[in-house]
Amino acid sequence: MNEKGQYKNRIDLLQGTLDMLILQTLQWGPQHGYGIVQALRLQSGDVLQVETGSLYPALHRLERQRWVQSEWKQSESKQRARYYRITARGKKQLARDLGRWERIVEAIGSVMYVKPKESES
Amino acid sequence: MKWFSNFGFQRQNRELQEEIDAHLEMAIADRVERGETAEAARQAAVREFGNILLVQDVTRQMWGGGWFEQLARDLRYALRQLRKSPGFTITATAMLAVAICANSTVFSWIDGTMLRPIPGARDAGDLVSLQRGERNFSPTPPFSYLDYRDLREHNRTLAGILAYHNDWIALTGGAQPERVYIANVSANYFDVLGIKPVLGRFFLPEEESRAIPNVVLGYSLWKTRYAKDRAIVGKSIEVARHPVTVIGVAPEGFVGAAPGLRDDLWVTLDPLGSDPWRMTHRDSDWLILIGRLRPGVSRGQAAQDLDAQMNHIVVAYPDQHLGDNRITLDPMWRSPFGANGYMAATLPILLAFAAVVLLLTCANVATLTLVRFVSRRRELAIRQSLGANRIQLVRQMVLEGVVLSILAGAAALVLTSWTSKTFAWFFRASSAPINLNGSMDHTVVIGIAVFSLLAGMLCGALPAWRSSHAPAIEVLKAESANISGGLRNRRLLSALVVAQIALSLPLLLCSGLLLRTLRNLAGANPGFEQDHILTASVGLNIAGYSNDEAQLIRHKILDRVSALPGVKVASLTDWIPMTLIQKRNDAYPEGYVPHPHESLLVENAEVGPRYFESLHIPIVEGREFTLNDDEKAPGVIIVDQTAARHYWPGQDPLGKRLSVGGSLCTVVGVVRNSTHTFVNESPEPMVYISFFQHPGYETMVQVKTEGNPVDLEPAVENAIHQIDPRLPVFDVRSMRESTHLASSFAVIQSTLAGMFALIGLVLAVTGIYGVVAYRTQMRTHEIGVRMALGASRVDVLRLVLLQGVWLTGVGLALGLAFALGLTRVIARLLYGIGANDPVTVASVVTLLGAMSLLACYFPAHRAMRRNPVSAIREL
Repeated sequence: MNEKGQYKNRIDLLQGTLDMLILQTLQWGPQHGYGIVQALRLQSGDVLQVETGSLYPALHRLERQRWVQSEWKQSESKQRARYYRITARGKKQLARDLGRWERIVEAIGSVMYVKPKESES
Repeated sequence: MKWFSNFGFQRQNRELQEEIDAHLEMAIADRVERGETAEAARQAAVREFGNILLVQDVTRQMWGGGWFEQLARDLRYALRQLRKSPGFTITATAMLAVAICANSTVFSWIDGTMLRPIPGARDAGDLVSLQRGERNFSPTPPFSYLDYRDLREHNRTLAGILAYHNDWIALTGGAQPERVYIANVSANYFDVLGIKPVLGRFFLPEEESRAIPNVVLGYSLWKTRYAKDRAIVGKSIEVARHPVTVIGVAPEGFVGAAPGLRDDLWVTLDPLGSDPWRMTHRDSDWLILIGRLRPGVSRGQAAQDLDAQMNHIVVAYPDQHLGDNRITLDPMWRSPFGANGYMAATLPILLAFAAVVLLLTCANVATLTLVRFVSRRRELAIRQSLGANRIQLVRQMVLEGVVLSILAGAAALVLTSWTSKTFAWFFRASSAPINLNGSMDHTVVIGIAVFSLLAGMLCGALPAWRSSHAPAIEVLKAESANISGGLRNRRLLSALVVAQIALSLPLLLCSGLLLRTLRNLAGANPGFEQDHILTASVGLNIAGYSNDEAQLIRHKILDRVSALPGVKVASLTDWIPMTLIQKRNDAYPEGYVPHPHESLLVENAEVGPRYFESLHIPIVEGREFTLNDDEKAPGVIIVDQTAARHYWPGQDPLGKRLSVGGSLCTVVGVVRNSTHTFVNESPEPMVYISFFQHPGYETMVQVKTEGNPVDLEPAVENAIHQIDPRLPVFDVRSMRESTHLASSFAVIQSTLAGMFALIGLVLAVTGIYGVVAYRTQMRTHEIGVRMALGASRVDVLRLVLLQGVWLTGVGLALGLAFALGLTRVIARLLYGIGANDPVTVASVVTLLGAMSLLACYFPAHRAMRRNPVSAIREL
C-alpha cells in the first residue's frame, strides 16, 4: 500500500508540472499542440522535450476540466489546426499550480542549500 | 441514446486523428523549411511523434464519458490486441471452445435426460415417482390397480396420481404387422402430466376401468403411419387384430411418462376387457405410479402420507401384501423407472471430469496469456506512466479474456448443437424403445454462457492481477536486464504448469481405469454362452390366440426351428440376460413365515426345455426342464447356486419347495450362477420357472447355432412365419449384440473419460512445452555466455531439461495425491481392477512424465545447437 502511494505521488507531480507548463504557454495566446511543443522547447533552451504521448492526453484532460477551450482555426501557414485557449478557470488553476510549484522549489532548495544558509549566519 | 453517444465518439475520434495529422504536417513543414527533403522530413516527424496508436489510445482515455463508451473503447482495444497476435487468439479460442464444448455436451445430455424426464409435461419438478418396497435399478412395476385406486382417493398430499403400464403390441391391418410401444394408462394420465391433445380428446374418468377400445395416438405415429390425417379422430384402426377407435392425438414431443422410453400410443387399463384378473386382484402388481405434489407440500411430507395410506391397505389385506410395502418417493430425475436411474449414476461423474478439463484449459490459456502479457509489459508500463490507472489495465486484460471466451463460447455453441445429439449412438438397437438423447435448449445455451464467462474470468483475471502489480518505473528501467519477466512471473508460470500436470494426471488415471474396466467387462465370462446364440421375439401374446392355441404354436416353433440346418438346439425363454430388463416376483420357502415389510422379491425367468444346454449353463444338481413339465404336471422350478444358498443354506435344495408368486413349486435342479444384468453385479438369487407350465408373457426363441448366428436370421424368421404368416417376429439378433446393451454405460464412461484425458494430456504437454520454450528463449543470451565460457552442449541440455524435470516432478507428485483421492469416487464404476491399481498408476505417471520430458527436450535441443556467438548477440 505504502509502495503504491509513493508511486502515485510521483505521477501526480509529473502531471501537475506538465499542466502548469501548458497553461503558462497558453497565457501568450491560443496555440495548437505542435506550437506548444515548439514553444516549450524554445523557452526552455531545448531542455524540456514534451512527448506527444503526454501532451495530447494532457490537453484533452485540461479541456475536460474546462481549464482550456479548443476551436478549429487556420494557422498562418493555412494549415487547419485545433487551437487551445486558456479559460478564466484555467488562469486560476495556473496561479494555484504556480504557487504550489514555488513552494516545492523553495522546499527542495532549502534542503539542497542547507550549507550556504549556515555560512550566512 | 446508445447510437447517439457512439456517434459522438466517432466524431471525437475523427477530430483526434485530424489533430495529430495537423501536428505531423506542421512538423514536416518546419523541417522542409530547414532544408530537409520531404521524405526525410516525414520519417523524422513520425519518429519524433512516437507511437500514434498508443497516443490516440491514451488520449481517448482522457475523454472519460459513460461506462458504455469506456467499455466500447476497451473492447475495441482488446480486439485490436487479439488481432495483433492471431496465433495466440486462434490457439486459445480453439482450446477453450473444446473445453467448453466438453462441458456443454455432457450438460446437454443431463439436460435432455435427467432434467427433462418427461418432455412436454408441465412443471416436471413437482412430479414424483412412487416406489413400493425394495429399491434397485429398473424395478418391476410395484402397484396393483385396486391399491392405486385407494392411494389416489385417500392421500391428502398429491394433487393427482397417474398410473401406467408399458407394453408392446402389433399394429395390424397393414401388409406387415408393425411393432408399436403402448402404455395402459389411468384416465387422469394426461391430466396429471399437464398434456393437452392436438386433436380430439384424451380419456374420460368413466372409461378408466371399463372395456372401451379407445386409443390415443402419439404424434410421431400419427405423422408417419397416418400422414397427419386430421380426420383420424373417430376412425377405427386395428391393433393386434382388434378394432379400436382413435379418440385423440398427443402433442409433438410427448412420448410417455417413463423417462428415456418411448410410447407410440396409449389405451386405458383394460380396453378389451381381456384381463379382468389384474383389474380386480390386489396381488397383481403391474402399475407404475407418478404423483404431482400439491402446492406447498414437500416430498418428505407426501412420502409420509402415502406410507401411512399404504399401511392401512396392508392391514386390511395382509395376504396380498407380503414383502416390503414401504413407500418411497423420488424426483423424476432419479426415478428408478425408465432410464434415469442409470443416467444419475453416470452423467454427473462425467460432468465432473469435464469440469476438470475446463479448469485445465483455463490454466493453459492463463499460461499463454501470461507469457503474452510479460512480453507486452513494456507497453503496459508506458500506458500506466501516461496516466492509465491500474483498474483500467486490469479491466482491459480481463476484457481480453472475456472476448476470447465469448468467441470460444460461440464456437462451442455451434459444436454442441451437433455433439449433444451423439448420445443416442451409445445405445444399440434393443427390444426396449430407448429414447435418450441430449438436447440443446435454452438451459444449455445459458450453461455455455456461464461456462465461457467463468473461463474468461479465470483466464484473464489471474495474469491481469499479476501483471498490474509490476511497478511501471521498474519495468521500464529493468527493460533488458531481467528479460524473463521477473521472479514473481516466473513463479506464477511454474505454478500454472504444475497445476496443468497435476490436473491432467487424475483424468488420465480415471480414463485408464475405466478403459481397463471396459476391457475386463468385454473379456469377462458372464457364465453363459454369448457366441453362436440367436434370439427372436414372437408376438404370441398379442396375436389373439387362446392359451391352448398358443401352447401348440410354441411346440410347433420349437419343432420347426430345431429342424433347421445349422441349428443345434432351440429353446424358449421370456427373458434375455444383460438387456437391462429384470423380472421379479415374491418368493419364500415352504413353511417360512415372512416378517412384515420383509422384501421377498426374487428375480425370475420362464425358460423352456434345453435352455441351459443352449446357453452352456452347467446343471450342478438335478435336471433341466422337459416338455413334460407342463400345466398338468406338478409345479417345478430350477434355482441357481445363489438362490439355493439363500433359501436352504447347508441343505440339499433338491425336492425342497418354494412359493413363487403364490404357487408352491418343487426344486428339480440347481444351475451354476450366471450374469443377470451387469457383469459386475453382486450375485442375486434367480429362480427359473418352466415355460410350458407357466407361459411367459414374452415368447422368445433362443437358438444355438453351428456357425455365425446372424446367417440364420432369415431362416428362423421364415420357419416361424410358416406356422402362421401373421405372427409378428421382432428383435431377431445375436446374443452378443443384445448383451452389448449392458455395457452401454461403461462404454459411455470410458469413451468420454478417454477423450477428456487425451485433451488433458495434450494441454499439459503443450503447457509445459510453451513455458520451457519461452523461458529458454528468454535465456538465449545467458546460454550463449555460458557456452562461450566453456559450458558443453550437454551442460546446456541439462540446464534446460532440469527445470522441466523439476516442474514435471512437482506436478506429478501433486497430481498423484489428487488422483488417488479422486479414483475413490469412481470406484463403484470399476470392474476387475482396484481404484489404485498400481500398474495403471505407474503407466499413466510414466506416460505423462515421458510426454512432459519430451516436450522439454525440444527447446533444450534447440538451445544446445545454438551458435554461442549469435546467441550472445541476441538480447
